[in-house]
Amino acid sequence: MRRLWLILKTDARRHLKSPLTIIIYIIIPVAMTGLIGVIFAPSSGDGTLPPIRVVLVDRDKGLASRLFLGAFDAEQVKKMFQVTTAGEAEGRAMMEKGKASAMVVIPERFSLDLLEIKPVFLEVVKNPAERFLPDITEEFVQTTAVMLSAAVQAFEPEARGVRAMLDAPVDAFPWEALAPELGKAQKKIASAAKYLDPLLLNVKEEKTKAAGAKVNLTRTDIFSTILPGMAIMFLLFIVQTVMRDMISEREDGKLRRMLTTPLRPSELIGARILGGWAMGLSILLVMAAFGTMVYNAHWGPFGYFLTLVVVVSFWSAAFFALMNALVRNRNQAGVLSAPIILGFSLFGGSLMNPEAMPKAFRAVGIVTPNRWFVDGAAAVRDGRFPAVPLLILAVSGLILLLLAVPALRRRSTV
Amino acid sequence: MLEIKSLTKSYGDVLALDHFSLELKKGEVLGLLGPNGAGKTTLISILAGSLRDFTGGVSFLGKDLFSDRSLKNRMGIVPQDMAFYEELNAADNLLFWGGLYDVPRADLKKRAAEILEMVELSGRSKEPVKNFSGGMKRRLNTAIGLLHKPDLLLLDEPTVGIDVQAKVSILDLIRKVGAAGTGVIFTTHQLAEVEDTCSRIAIMDRGRILAQGTLVELIRLVGEKDIVEITGEFAAAAFSEALVDLDGDGVELLSASDNQAALAVSDTDRIPKILDRLFRRKLAVTDLKIKTPNLEAVFLKLTGRSLRD
Ligand SMILES: Nc1ncnc2c1ncn2[C@@H]1O[C@H](COP(=O)(O)OP(=O)(O)OP(=O)(O)O)[C@@H](O)[C@H]1O
Ligand SMILES: [Mg+2]
Repeated sequence: MRRLWLILKTDARRHLKSPLTIIIYIIIPVAMTGLIGVIFAPSSGDGTLPPIRVVLVDRDKGLASRLFLGAFDAEQVKKMFQVTTAGEAEGRAMMEKGKASAMVVIPERFSLDLLEIKPVFLEVVKNPAERFLPDITEEFVQTTAVMLSAAVQAFEPEARGVRAMLDAPVDAFPWEALAPELGKAQKKIASAAKYLDPLLLNVKEEKTKAAGAKVNLTRTDIFSTILPGMAIMFLLFIVQTVMRDMISEREDGKLRRMLTTPLRPSELIGARILGGWAMGLSILLVMAAFGTMVYNAHWGPFGYFLTLVVVVSFWSAAFFALMNALVRNRNQAGVLSAPIILGFSLFGGSLMNPEAMPKAFRAVGIVTPNRWFVDGAAAVRDGRFPAVPLLILAVSGLILLLLAVPALRRRSTV
Repeated sequence: MLEIKSLTKSYGDVLALDHFSLELKKGEVLGLLGPNGAGKTTLISILAGSLRDFTGGVSFLGKDLFSDRSLKNRMGIVPQDMAFYEELNAADNLLFWGGLYDVPRADLKKRAAEILEMVELSGRSKEPVKNFSGGMKRRLNTAIGLLHKPDLLLLDEPTVGIDVQAKVSILDLIRKVGAAGTGVIFTTHQLAEVEDTCSRIAIMDRGRILAQGTLVELIRLVGEKDIVEITGEFAAAAFSEALVDLDGDGVELLSASDNQAALAVSDTDRIPKILDRLFRRKLAVTDLKIKTPNLEAVFLKLTGRSLRD
């Protein structure tokens, strides 16, 4: 037991030394919720705002700046923003004449810095003559930037590969020459983007129907509905990021060294699983707190919510313990985990409202933790005890654990 | 203190240890010399408890090493890999790895400070290890194995890939540890290292010990003979054939490969005869070296190959 605590303590200390990944994973779900909420929450008063006129100055003209510009090009976003691209001087002139509410400047090296995982700054120039619209632009730009950098972080290994090729001009970008891994990353992004789109449409459709039935969703409701789905998706990413350590330590000889000490394999396995669990648990609670602070989201009775959060983070830890015991190396884990998590999220209702999903998706969704967490969170929000989701998550989590422990044991001796 | 009896371990068809037996006394520093693939790492891994499926037994401090878990507290292992947390500093690494042993909490900090002093890392103990040079990392890797004051220290190629200064400091450390009463086994490819660090040397190849003893005892194995190394343009077979009638007549063929061969001669006056045989067969000789007996010659004689491949 003493050794188990020592490992947990040391791991916590290590993660606190480089907390960036974890912080990013906390911020994205909150920010994404914000984005979706801002666009689709019924605006106060009689409804639609006039489109905001934005001037975009692209000094980078790289891959990431294109992705960024693409964000303004999305169907729903177009309704909010009327975008013109221009040089900086021209842009300022337009703003002075009142022809634009805000100007967004994408700096040089934007793509390169992002791919090198360096901090990037987007400049938003607001028109002082206007009060409200430029703020929305800024909010949107910030959210998009966070998502973009999150994507780059999540795909860090691939990003490094892309970086190496970026010295070629963008138009001559050798897509077909990219390593298969990269192709997969591209697909990861493409599929995520594709599934985000129907999500937006679905929420919108639901709203019009709802309005007809005279049920008016408030802003807060929308946030509270979207955040759990986002939270569980990123919870899975975080837990895996933490638990991936058990593969690296198998590869770099630390595991072997640990086993030369009186440490028992069971203590090590226990520490790894508890570590993932505790990390998931704390992160989910932080996210929930953020949701409450930023969006005034409400979760229902805290005791119920806490129980659900404890159980779902246990499930995640057990799941990745098993996965990491079965994969051969870190690369394989990396290649597998993103599609698995995105798949869970897609079918489990993290990326679109479960009620708006095709039937087949919903059927598949019952094997995902996302589905049961989203369901459970909805029940708790209504003040009910989420008995069924809890039972399902707890039992399947235990089964995963029972499979993971012997598999990890076998992995800990040669 | 340590008694290894007939350890045998194979990986599929490869016999990594072949009835390997060895004894070690308290305070003895044993250098285990062997070429690549000799089975050194396999031996250390079995003793360290990180390798299964072998036959044979090991008794340590009078008990069966593999059935008494507490014995692990008496043993320190320094693996070939640098196994520690790069993002933590040296002191925290020592506290973590040392903490996995049953060292009283109060002693742990004190020991860590002492050990850092010993490996000359005190000044930089609060810096993340990833900023360390290769030599500093090796020293830390070694220090981790010593924190809990083991009775037996096993080091697998502790001096590989570092500069001379760091190497000297690690060999010094090994000597000091031995002088303080800890038994030490360390593996290496480097003859020079064992010559002045070890109280005993064992030469192993293909999973077996070929010879062991002090430096003087081992050198006596090649007798009073000088070693002649010949380089030229010839096939191995033709070379051996050319000298076949000299065999036994004060000339012993130690190894022959294409364009390179080594012989032991009872007297250097044999050399003209050897050259004569070679010239008659039109085997070209481009270089010839005469060496007085040393550990390298012993090694060559025993394994038929040179240590440095
Ligand atoms: N995991 C393994 N699977 C298969 N064969 C192995 C494995 N580990 C070692 N071997 C084989 O066992 C033999 C002994 O290997 P070992 O690593 O013990 O040698 P070594 O003396 O440490 O060599 P080196 O000086 O290169 O470190 C070699 O033939 C090697 O190929
Ligand atoms: Mg080795």
